[in-house]
Amino acid sequence: MNANSAMRRVFTAGPAFWGLAMFVAMGAIVALRILGAIDAIVSVALMLVVGPAMIVPMMRAADRLAREKGCGSPAGRRYIMRMGASSAAYTVLLPVTLWCWEHFRPGTVVTVLLALAVVLPVFAMFGAVARYLAEETDEYLRHRTVSALLWGLGAVLVLGSLWGFLETFRLVPHVPGWAVVPVWAIGMGIGQLWMGAGKR
Amino acid sequence: MKNRLKVLRAERGWSQQDLADRLEVSRQSVNAIETGKYDPSLPLAFRIAEVFAMRIEEIFLKG
Repeated sequence: MNANSAMRRVFTAGPAFWGLAMFVAMGAIVALRILGAIDAIVSVALMLVVGPAMIVPMMRAADRLAREKGCGSPAGRRYIMRMGASSAAYTVLLPVTLWCWEHFRPGTVVTVLLALAVVLPVFAMFGAVARYLAEETDEYLRHRTVSALLWGLGAVLVLGSLWGFLETFRLVPHVPGWAVVPVWAIGMGIGQLWMGAGKR
Repeated sequence: MKNRLKVLRAERGWSQQDLADRLEVSRQSVNAIETGKYDPSLPLAFRIAEVFAMRIEEIFLKG
């Protein structure tokens, strides 16, 4: 395989590839920060580059896959665009707000505003889901999305409960509550993959 | 629920996409219904019956 075809393969990879790549890259940045290999500003800068840089091709790959598999719809394309914009905003605001809080240690009011700012894209994500469910005229695609949402919800509840008990028993460290959003997204993605493999 | 969608479609020489276009749904929806992975709602079942000019019970079978 020459370099050109290898590059073509990467850029035509599916949404799962880009999702996994983003997860691994973000994990590597967090690990480097915890190990002290990079300082806060570098980790924020890296996250600001990695997040949007991988979300855009992931959303494009999702749209392409939907068209290829014959499950694309105008509502689905609008959903992918809205979800992509919200996710990109979240990956930008999350490291920025964490850095601002760590760096400036603002007062209560500003801290609450920072927390609200980073949660706004999460509201937008659920808004995108609600609008999709209202706009999608294809009942089977709507059914699949609702099933994927239940996969995401199940992942959050099961992993959250398991982690909570392990934390109570002092076997694992504390995980911030905002980790539910990526867990939910990963759960939804696994649900989509499972249903895509023909196993409801 | 079993159905005769695939046979009826083949008799008319329609692809899954042709039927999907007539029903104004995705090709994947037609595939899911044909393979029994998804049972359509009553309004969609009526639309399918209308497209084939048949009664619902001639297309969808118990069991």
